[in-house]
Amino acid sequence: MELENRVIGLIQSNIEKKHTITLQSDLRQDLEVDSFGTIMIVNAIEDAFGIEVEEADIRKLARVIDIVELLEKKYLQPAKKS
Amino acid sequence: MKPAVLYQALATDLSLADRTGFNPYYRRMMRDGRGKISIDQAAFFDLASNDYLGLAADARVKAAMTDAVERFGASFCGTPIAAGYATILADLESAVAAMLGLPAAAIFPSCYQANGSLFCSIADADDVIIVDHYAHASLIQGVKASGARIKPFLHNDIDHLGKQLAASRSFRRIFVVTESVFSTEGSIAPVGEIDALCKRYHATPVIDDSHGIGVIGKTGQGILEYCGLSEYDGIYTASLGKALAGTGGIVAGAAEFIEYLRYNCAGLIYSTALVPASAAGLLASIRIVTTEFDARGGLMWKNHGDLCQRLTNAGVNLKGGQAPIASIFCGSPERTITLAKLFYEQGILTTPFIPPSVPPEQGVVRLIVGAKIDAVAMAELGERISVAAGKFNQ
Repeated sequence: MELENRVIGLIQSNIEKKHTITLQSDLRQDLEVDSFGTIMIVNAIEDAFGIEVEEADIRKLARVIDIVELLEKKYLQPAKKS
Repeated sequence: MKPAVLYQALATDLSLADRTGFNPYYRRMMRDGRGKISIDQAAFFDLASNDYLGLAADARVKAAMTDAVERFGASFCGTPIAAGYATILADLESAVAAMLGLPAAAIFPSCYQANGSLFCSIADADDVIIVDHYAHASLIQGVKASGARIKPFLHNDIDHLGKQLAASRSFRRIFVVTESVFSTEGSIAPVGEIDALCKRYHATPVIDDSHGIGVIGKTGQGILEYCGLSEYDGIYTASLGKALAGTGGIVAGAAEFIEYLRYNCAGLIYSTALVPASAAGLLASIRIVTTEFDARGGLMWKNHGDLCQRLTNAGVNLKGGQAPIASIFCGSPERTITLAKLFYEQGILTTPFIPPSVPPEQGVVRLIVGAKIDAVAMAELGERISVAAGKFNQ
């Protein structure tokens, strides 16, 4: 739950209005996040985790859980040994 | 993709107009040159235009424009860098810069073009542009076109801006971009604090004062006067088509920076210069603002106060910004268009904003009364507003 809570905290401090945020929250419908707002959230996540999220991945983000899963599966994976 | 298929894919969704029985956009209207408008032969109050000081129908402004056509012709038919930099254009640049208390200014065909082409000239992938979440579309488009890293900050939120600046120290150039007056809600950005933060982080502020120039500040000079920024060393942009009742846009600031733009900003170099009539009209407008702002600004604020009182009494949800803009919160696009329709049925032209112009479920109807309505007309307008707002609240 640590990652989930961290992501929710980052979203909470980077949206215009206070909302109750769950993993199932829809960024647009529930949290009133527009495309520029999505960039703001992604910026915060990039700064917090020291990563750079690809443009194509940003376009796929609809719900909070999408962000968590994207981080888990792609950006926070330990480097594979060659 | 064949053109026909392309056009089908691009078809405009007008279902909102169908659902509400009203399309407020691109209404065809008659204008009589004295500030009166009519639609389908019915007289309307114009609370949709940005003619804050009532200068669009001022006899002196109109006379200056018609005289300029005789003296200079219809158009310079050339770009400023080649054949279009006539004396009257240079005079206008000097007059605008003097009004603002800035060293120099360059005139663009529109503020949209100024904002849209400015950032490509000053920023690239090595730089970061920190921009207010709700900044105008022209700023967003310009910022995106630059290729710089974009970092939005929460609307008018100094603390969030500070965090974004602190996390941006590694970039070569840092720009902070905002509007002075956010026109969909009438809020005024904390530009003084933004400027101070920029100084702390060695960032360059870029302030769009389109709804501030000729409107706010003790003598109508705009946001810099309003905030007491007499030594502003950032970049300033503004539309000349709102309170100053002309066309065109400006970028103003340090003399060496404006000189740089003259040779490096494609939107300036490759665009036909402002037509002489517009330049002459703007010079007349600036003279009037400089000498008559007390009276005109006073009437604008009085009318705005009366309008807000009427709206408050009628029970609508006013957003309560500090600028002379009355913005009624409606929420959904359906409610927003419905309120605009009710005003329209009472002979009042307003501006409804729905997404993407505003965030989801944040629709507003904007009313700008300005100084173009006298006390008698204000009384009639007030009655009509009460009727429309009363129906909206039923």
